[in-house]
Amino acid sequence: MTANFLIGLREGLEATLIVVLLMAYLVKTGRRALLPRLWAGVAVAVAVSVAFGALLTFGPRGLTFEAQEAIGGGLSIIAVGLVTWMVFWMARTAKTLGGELKSRVDRVADGAGWGLVAVAALAVGREGLETALFLWAAAQSSGETTTPLVGALLGLGVAAGLGYLLHRGVVKVNLARFFIWTGAALVIIAGGVLAYGVHDLQEAGILPGLHIVAFDVSTAVPPSSWYGTLLKGTLNFSPATTWLEASAWLLYVVPILFFYLRVNLAAPSPVRSPRENAMASS
Amino acid sequence: MPSHFPLSATRPAAAQPAETSRSPRGRRGLAIIAAASALPLALAGCTDNAKAEATGGPIQVVSTDSACTIASASAPSGNLTFTVKNEGPQVTEFYLLAEDGLRILGEVENIGPGLTRNLVVTAEPGAYTTACKPGMTGEGIRAAFQVTDSGTKAAVDADFQKLLDAGVQQYAAYVKDQTEQLLAGTRDFAAAYADGDAGTARDLYAATRMHWERIEPVAESFGDLDPKLDAREADLEPGQEWTGWHRAEKDLFPPADYTALSAEERAALSAQLVADTEDLAQRTREVELSADNLGNGAKELLDEVATGKVTGEEEIWSHTDLWDFQANVDGARIAFESLKPALEQKDPELSASLEEKFTALQTGLKAYAKGDGFVYYNELNQEQVQELAALVDSLGEPLSQLTAAAVL
Repeated sequence: MTANFLIGLREGLEATLIVVLLMAYLVKTGRRALLPRLWAGVAVAVAVSVAFGALLTFGPRGLTFEAQEAIGGGLSIIAVGLVTWMVFWMARTAKTLGGELKSRVDRVADGAGWGLVAVAALAVGREGLETALFLWAAAQSSGETTTPLVGALLGLGVAAGLGYLLHRGVVKVNLARFFIWTGAALVIIAGGVLAYGVHDLQEAGILPGLHIVAFDVSTAVPPSSWYGTLLKGTLNFSPATTWLEASAWLLYVVPILFFYLRVNLAAPSPVRSPRENAMASS
Repeated sequence: MPSHFPLSATRPAAAQPAETSRSPRGRRGLAIIAAASALPLALAGCTDNAKAEATGGPIQVVSTDSACTIASASAPSGNLTFTVKNEGPQVTEFYLLAEDGLRILGEVENIGPGLTRNLVVTAEPGAYTTACKPGMTGEGIRAAFQVTDSGTKAAVDADFQKLLDAGVQQYAAYVKDQTEQLLAGTRDFAAAYADGDAGTARDLYAATRMHWERIEPVAESFGDLDPKLDAREADLEPGQEWTGWHRAEKDLFPPADYTALSAEERAALSAQLVADTEDLAQRTREVELSADNLGNGAKELLDEVATGKVTGEEEIWSHTDLWDFQANVDGARIAFESLKPALEQKDPELSASLEEKFTALQTGLKAYAKGDGFVYYNELNQEQVQELAALVDSLGEPLSQLTAAAVL
């Protein structure tokens, strides 16, 4: 029960985090109108995953292991690309908020809104197939006992609940901190997603070096523990990380965060109050 | 089922203003979505769920905290289905690995307690390793798994070039596997030898060299490494420094009136051996093989047997020539088997003849098997050597036709 709950929680968090941060951003910048697009992306990803999972479980054909890993890994890496673009788009449009005509902002937002659908779909879809396969397996075995299914669904429920709380919390944060914080969090999460995608591709044999491990702290942070689950669910932290994963993470997070912070700290948004400006540049 | 999913329940997908986006940004967004959704299709590899039952039904695996019980230790080749049930309290994973325990052929992750999940893989005949990983950490609980030849090919492809390509790929995987084992074995050997543990080093010597001998044509394609690793004293050029396996051989199996190497010299030789082998392993990764490399390589390996092993020249101090003999034959046979599907389309008679001659040679050699290895070369009498030589010659003749018949 606990173990299945933790799986649900982990997969749920992995899928939820990016969506929640984007949502908070849209609410915060008064673009609630774009929320349905975000949800549309989520819904498409969930529907496709569940249908695909059912097809692979009950249909006449299954997916090879390599293909499964390649899809997961490939989607993860594309998701990172889109999230990165989103983060910089957010930083840029945040500045135009007060200074330019509303219509222009909306036009830009309208175009990028389609990107939102894609980001949401990828953020959820990359974990969706694996989760759907797990849920169908749990549903199948629920003839014997329903605990695995209940555990997994509870885990997903708690992940969604945590996501909601995070959303509420993030919305309350003041604007100056908010932009820095959300963007930086997204970059770090995206770094984790990238490392995870690299690992998937290593398992599929598409990238080398699966057994060349940079560090292994599995005994200190067992993947089956609740803190291991949270670290994996939020930051995609793997206790046994290969050199390739670690390098991908560093090569992504360090420069992107640098450019992100430079863009954001150098030219404060006109929306900010003088007091907030002082805080941001101090 | 979808309604249980917490993320989908909140809002429907209907509210998309589908045709309102005309800006270049909109199109770019759409292009990204299109590219993203096309990716799984491009990457998708499908495997038959139904066919799995045709070759013997699913193999039941039960994973607990301390055991990984597999209903059968072998299965006929083709599509295999492992039905993995987790009866332990922790989340578990199940892997099917290549014999070396490194390459993953298939895995199922996230098998929660009480759950049963399937792993479907297509497996060629050969040796494999299975592993359950309760708690998802460490090596897991491992066991050997054998896939026997079911006679039915996983996929019979009439496209000749594809058959050749698949063969080359298969052989490349074999070379990679052997280099990895060679490197691991060489490290163990070098450590024992440098430590002065001559007994262990002697035990490891022949078995480790087999990995080298199996891939010799590929290894020899690096003109600088081959003499550094495999030069015999008799073949040294004037002024050439003698390093490699045979230098250690002489020191470990010393002739009379031989001055043993000092501990420093041994350490240096060991370090050099490992470094050169690492270099070799690195460079074999980048080798592009083609079908004619395989055919010619097989012939080269057999010539090696004829000129070096049958004569007992290769291992003049350790007399472990029959290990090398077997390894050369293994290498040639794998190359032949990799080309066999293609050869069967072109010249089924030659294929049958080669099959028969390989079997005869293998049977002849088996007669001298002893324990894990073989008898020493100096224990063979003249007549026995001649018998082996005759078997090698009779295989050599059809084998020299292999490249022309399969590739051209």
